[in-house]
Amino acid sequence: MEEKAVERITVPGSWDYGTVEVPARDGVGAARRAGTRARKGVEPYLLFGVLLLLWQLAATFLPQGGNPLLPTPLVTAKALRASLPELLKGTYYSFLILVPGYLAAVGAGIAIGLLVGTTGGLDRAFTPFARVAAPIPPTVYIPYAIAVLPTFRVSAIFVIFVGAFWPVFLNAAAGAASLERRHRDNARILGIRGFEYMGKVVFPASLPHIFSGMAVGLALSFILLTVAELFGANAGLGRFVQYYADFADYPRMVAGIIYTGLITFLSMEGLDRVRRKALFWVR
Amino acid sequence: MAGAYPAPEQAGAGISVAAVSFGYDGSPILEGIDLEVREGEFLSLLGPSGSGKTTLLRLLAGLETPRMGRISWKGTVIRGAGIERGVVFQDYSLFPWMRMVDNVALAIGKADPGGKKREHRELAEEYLRMVGLGEAIGKYPFELSGGMQQRGAIARAFALGSPVLLMDEPFGALDPLNRAKLQDLLIEVWSGATPRKTVVFVTHDVEEAIYLGDRVAVLGASPGRVIAEAPVPFERPRSRRRLFASKEFRALQDRISELYHADTIERLEAPGIVRDPAEGI
Repeated sequence: MEEKAVERITVPGSWDYGTVEVPARDGVGAARRAGTRARKGVEPYLLFGVLLLLWQLAATFLPQGGNPLLPTPLVTAKALRASLPELLKGTYYSFLILVPGYLAAVGAGIAIGLLVGTTGGLDRAFTPFARVAAPIPPTVYIPYAIAVLPTFRVSAIFVIFVGAFWPVFLNAAAGAASLERRHRDNARILGIRGFEYMGKVVFPASLPHIFSGMAVGLALSFILLTVAELFGANAGLGRFVQYYADFADYPRMVAGIIYTGLITFLSMEGLDRVRRKALFWVR
Repeated sequence: MAGAYPAPEQAGAGISVAAVSFGYDGSPILEGIDLEVREGEFLSLLGPSGSGKTTLLRLLAGLETPRMGRISWKGTVIRGAGIERGVVFQDYSLFPWMRMVDNVALAIGKADPGGKKREHRELAEEYLRMVGLGEAIGKYPFELSGGMQQRGAIARAFALGSPVLLMDEPFGALDPLNRAKLQDLLIEVWSGATPRKTVVFVTHDVEEAIYLGDRVAVLGASPGRVIAEAPVPFERPRSRRRLFASKEFRALQDRISELYHADTIERLEAPGIVRDPAEGI
């Protein structure tokens, strides 16, 4: 995330779940209002242009001029346009796996995470388990899931669920555990208990943490999705790239990689928009 | 919570604090606190930092449990926090993810669980208008200044309809003008309600303690204990200008200040004290 005025705490025992974000007491809101974080410049476009030029030069002047392994940008763009219908269909099939797996992980991660974060006994029960289970790279489950579960779709959904669950769970638990005392005191004084306490106090207060867990989980989901599709899908984004690599159609393969990157980027941007909307009150 | 003490019938007057001690891991914060607050009385609890005045208020709220002694309201021992006692904290108590009206309506809903949501909202709007926040009904706390947020907290505390109101330096973070405005608002709302709420108002400002209170209790520090109690004889409604100019006010202010500062100076001059163990409590 791009805010600077957040305190970053590393989650112990996790390998790639990034940081747990703790909203700073002040500063972010002021910085946002002052527009410091919205600074845009020409630099990204410049770098993009330079990279494109380097690509073109490399593709043109490589030995054996016009190496099939490295198509020029123009050839790739043409391939991208030609395979757009196929890629859109692939996106649809990929999302049929990604969306249920990710949403189930978010739902379960938030529900269990908030419970664990607020309940001492559950916390003590879960923490040792989470320390062992969370760092297992979820990609290692893929062959086993494909062997055990009935269809490829179900096994891929399962792998994404497992992968995205841990970052959401760990962040939700950390968010609930770090609930500010004043919010807890206020809830007690107003007699807010049980489900109402979880829904009206703990959940909204933990949202900054939950969203950073969701972002890590979403990025991980895309990795797992494409890796899983390399194993045994018959449609989808990862499958597209694998398929044309098998036929040595490198322009289409590179086009597929670029398209997948774009879809991932747009999804992450979408989540970030939702986050900014939901966290309007964080200062 | 000392369950061993029987609840005496005659202690039903209001808030009764009897021989209460509190501390963490051998460092005492409060020791042998005895305090009575009559029903409908406005008590100012005056104390320097480290006197455990916030801790005492948390004990009264039921957010903490005394290690020794007992605290009761109308003869019933206080066990845990609840809507019978509204609390206003210094660091604005409203939930930042809810609009002002929803913050207040939430409290009303807790006090009237069977009621209709729409009526709760309408009542919440009324309470917000009462504290001068008619323009801010649909706003979020972060869109308002500290003084306005504290008005909202007062509205919520009164909307709760609790007979007891506990306030922990509620105006401590405000500038003098806003502070005076909110003091007057608090007194206006408090005097306007029947029956009057029993208020315990924590402050470290002598002038504020006298101006607001029916009585001032002074806490000394390390460990916190009641070192003096003084009734405030001035009639209400009080005029700030006339009161502050009067000899009687200044005499009372001097006497309380003397007590208040004597304890602090004594501690500062005591040999061997490098760090106050109860600092920041």
